[in-house]
Formats: sequence, C-alpha cells, structure tokens
Amino acid sequence: MFPYKENPMQHKQQRMIPDWAWAVLAIAVVALTLALFMTDRPDEPGEALVYDVSRYEAVADDDVRYHETARIALELDNPSGLAVDSEGRLWATGEGALLMLDETGREQARHEIDGRPDCVAVAPDGTMYLGMRDHLAVFSDTGEHHTNWETLGERAWTTEIVVDENHVFVADAGNARVYRYTHDGQILNTIGERDPERDSIGFVVPSHYLDVAFDAMGALWVSNPGKLGVEKYRADGALLTAWHQPGFATHQFPGCCNPIHIAFKSNGTLVTAEKGINRVKTFAADRSFAGVAATSEHLNAGWNAAEFPADPAPIRDLAVDTNDRILVLHGPLRAILVFEPIDAGKEKE
Amino acid sequence: MSTETKPGRREFIRAAAVAALGGGVWMAASPSAEKWVWQIDPHKCTQCGRCATHCVLNPSAVKCVHATKICGYCDLCSGYLQPAAPALDTGAENELCPTAAITRRFVEEPYFAYSIDEDLCIGCGKCVKGCGQFGNGSLYLQIKRDLCAHCNECAIARDCPSNAIERIPLSRAYVLKYDENAGEGA
Ligand code: SF4
Ligand code: SF4
Ligand code: SF4
Repeated sequence: MFPYKENPMQHKQQRMIPDWAWAVLAIAVVALTLALFMTDRPDEPGEALVYDVSRYEAVADDDVRYHETARIALELDNPSGLAVDSEGRLWATGEGALLMLDETGREQARHEIDGRPDCVAVAPDGTMYLGMRDHLAVFSDTGEHHTNWETLGERAWTTEIVVDENHVFVADAGNARVYRYTHDGQILNTIGERDPERDSIGFVVPSHYLDVAFDAMGALWVSNPGKLGVEKYRADGALLTAWHQPGFATHQFPGCCNPIHIAFKSNGTLVTAEKGINRVKTFAADRSFAGVAATSEHLNAGWNAAEFPADPAPIRDLAVDTNDRILVLHGPLRAILVFEPIDAGKEKE
Repeated sequence: MSTETKPGRREFIRAAAVAALGGGVWMAASPSAEKWVWQIDPHKCTQCGRCATHCVLNPSAVKCVHATKICGYCDLCSGYLQPAAPALDTGAENELCPTAAITRRFVEEPYFAYSIDEDLCIGCGKCVKGCGQFGNGSLYLQIKRDLCAHCNECAIARDCPSNAIERIPLSRAYVLKYDENAGEGA
C-alpha cells in the first residue's frame, strides 16, 4: 500500500547512537560551555599597571643598626604626639587624653583632654603645651587647663612643639611656618615664611607634616619636607644650614615630602622618620648616613594599612629619650616602639 | 459569630492585596526605584590594577579623578613621577602613567597643578597609589557613569580584592574622595 517501505537495516543503523548518548553529549557541551564561561578570567594586571616600591624598601642587613628592645602599649585611641621631658618621663597624647609614663613605660598619670591634640611638649617647670590644630592649649604641671593661646587662623595645623627656657617654638604645617612664642603666648617672630623680597619660597609643606627639634647644643632644626631635608635656624628666623637629600636610595628621602619627623641624639646624630617608605634612619653629626633604626618590614608588621585610609603613615611621632633610645609612636599599633643599637659602640654615628 | 468573622477576614485579605499592589506601584514610582550605579569607594580601593584589566569595556569605564582641594601641588609628585625618576621633567621615562594621561602646569615656585586626560586614562591606579603612598591621596579611581555599561554584575566588582565596588542609588553618585581635614574633594 505504501510507496516507501522502511528498511529494517537502515533503522538499525540510525539507532547506533542511542538517544541517551545524545542527551549526555548535549549535557556535556552545555557543561563545557558553562565551565569555559565561568573560568574565563581577564588577564591579571602586569607590572606596567601596578605601582610597586618594594625594591626601594629593601635594606641591606649591614645597614640595619638598631633593633626594637621594648614595646610600650598605650591605653590611648589614635595616638598623635610624643614628647620626653627633662626628667626622662614620656608624654603621649591622642584622642581625648594625655598620658605621663615613666621611662619604662608605666603609666603615671592620665589627663582628660577635649578633642585630639596633634602634638605635645612639656617645659622643665612642668607646664604642658598641647597643639590643638589652630592654637596651643596650656596646662599646669598638675594637669589643670591654664589657658588657650590665640588662634593661628583657619589654615593652621600645629604639628610639633619644642620648649626651651626662653621660648616655645610651634610648627604650623597648615601655614608652612614655625612660630617663636614667649612662654606667656606672645608671638615674637615666624620662621620659614615665604618672602618674595628675600627671594625665599619658605618651607614647602605639601602634606600635614612639619617638625621642629633641638639638637644637643640647643640649636633649632626644622624639617622642610617638600625639599626632602632639614634646615637649621637661628631663633630670629635666619637660615643657618640647609641639608636636602631627595631620592629613593636608603640614605635619601623619597617621594614628595619627607622626613615627616626629626629628633636628635645627645651626640648630634639626626634621627628621621619617613612616610611612603615607612622607615626610621640615623645620620651622624656630619650628616653621613649612619644606618636604619627601623625598617619598613618591621614597622609595617602587625597591622593592615587598608584599615587606616585617612592616615596611612604609621609613624605618628618620633623622640629620643634621656638614655638616647629612639622612640617611635606607632599609630595603628597604639604603642611606643623603643629602638637601641644592635651593637653599641659599633654605630657609624 | 461565624457569619461576622468571614466578611472580616475577606476584607482583611482584600485590604492586604490592595496594600501590596499599592505598595508595589508606590515603590515603582518612589525614589528607591531610581537607577542604581556601580561606584568605587575610594577609601577602600587598594589600586590593585584590575580596574584597568577587568572592565568589560576597553578602555575601562574607570578613570582617575583628582580631588584638587586635597592636593599638595607637589613638585616631586609621586603620582606623576616614576619612583627614583632620574630627572624631574615630562620625559616619558620619568612619567609614572603608562599612557601619559597626566599633565602638569606650573603654578608658582615650587608648585604644580595636575590634571587627568580622561580619554587617555585606562584606570590602572598607578598614580593613585603613588599619590596615596607618599602624598595626600588626592588622586582616586572612580567609575564614570557616562562610560559605564551598567552591567548587571560589574566584572571588576566580582574580582575586586578590596570589595571596594558597590551598587548605590544614582542620587549618591559620584562617591568622592573625602579628607576629614580638607572636606569633600573633587
Ligand atoms: S579592583 Fe578594586 S582595589 Fe582594584 S583598583 Fe579597582 S576598585 Fe581598586
Ligand atoms: S596612571 Fe593609570 S589611573 Fe593614573 S592617569 Fe594614568 S592611566 Fe589613569
Ligand atoms: S559595570 Fe561593567 S562597564 Fe561598568 S565598570 Fe563594571 S565592568 Fe565596567
């Protein structure tokens, strides 16, 4: 009846690949496509697209001349300033408090403060000076708020204070200058101001770091971070010495603005702290490079920079105590790190 | 009792249905139904480089933005110059940006102003990291709304190691770099 009759052989051949096999094949193709899709990853960014200064952070073992001998944990939020008084006591300030510690780090007194001081200094008579961004707050040796000095203006950012028997010197990073005050708060003169008449561009302070320190002879030194160095001034503001070391070598100061903190040992050694490549170094009195006191590796351990986006520089202040130990105020670790020579007597200082 | 309960329940169900429908309509018309956009939180970004390589667009919809208020106008700008650049000039060997997208203009001794050529920028973040590491962090990466394809799942967000990319309502874009001392940036 039918013009076409099915050939049983043909039928058998068509069935040589069974239906279930087709189904498995189809599933395999879909799975493979999905797998390829899921595992398809763009190339990772190569060297040309990533900023990396790790090779400049590396320090030759022989250049490391100090080691950490003590770590003083601070009951203080957001530490910001550190000072050593003439009796060797340590003063640390931060959010809402000023702590007095003995030289072993034991807390002796705690003063509540309104706000977060940027810096602290204590005069030989015990008077405490706190930098409160646009003015200084003065406290008696018993911690009583004595007075506030006049504001230094909207742009002011007090970053360091040093006191001697005659004067109080205050670094103001916001206005890129240092003020010389009498002990009762009268401004006598400024140091490092831009002065076109004397063809002086003044301090170059791109970020909120400007530091002052006395050397062992009582001479005033100021960091000039935008010039990558330090300068010595007479109290009346006359420039005596400028020493600038821009560069990425270990004995130089890298980036736009370093050093961020300075201090002096009793033998005239300059101690510097940097940001970007977080590091503490020493330079002998003739300014020859004497070694690294704290490496980046050491200072970057134990905390996560991503948790401190607003202030990524861990070194919040630097000081030298009456035993010539180097004290590093570490913000994220909320501690004072104490460094001493590895091999006393063999320093290059 | 039962005759009273039944209509009450029915009314309740009806009211609930109306409320649900009304809520849906209200939600559709309300501001919360506004467009959502992908944005980078500049404070979380760690400049891993993936914004340049992982965007479905080429070049990336991520660009460098400059918060000039925070900028230090540095001569030795670490977002502009290679680390250890042998000279402080605009020679290609001294420039950090792989596409020469950053230009600088002299302001006064020793200050320079920096600007980004968006067409050249590929969003690698090299300059951002250099600026943040040594300087004030005034450069930052952001997804440009006008360039972004608004993918359902941002291909960069999927692989961002810092979870810095999130979807936010259009009204909150752009997420700017904020400096507690200088205020809002660019
Ligand atoms: S992927 Fe994330 S961390 Fe990497 S550059 Fe983009 S936003 Fe920043
Ligand atoms: S370094 Fe990268 S992110 Fe910066 S401007 Fe150049 S291409 Fe854009
Ligand atoms: S949403 Fe798409 S186009 Fe926009 S940045 Fe992410 S991957 Fe690029």
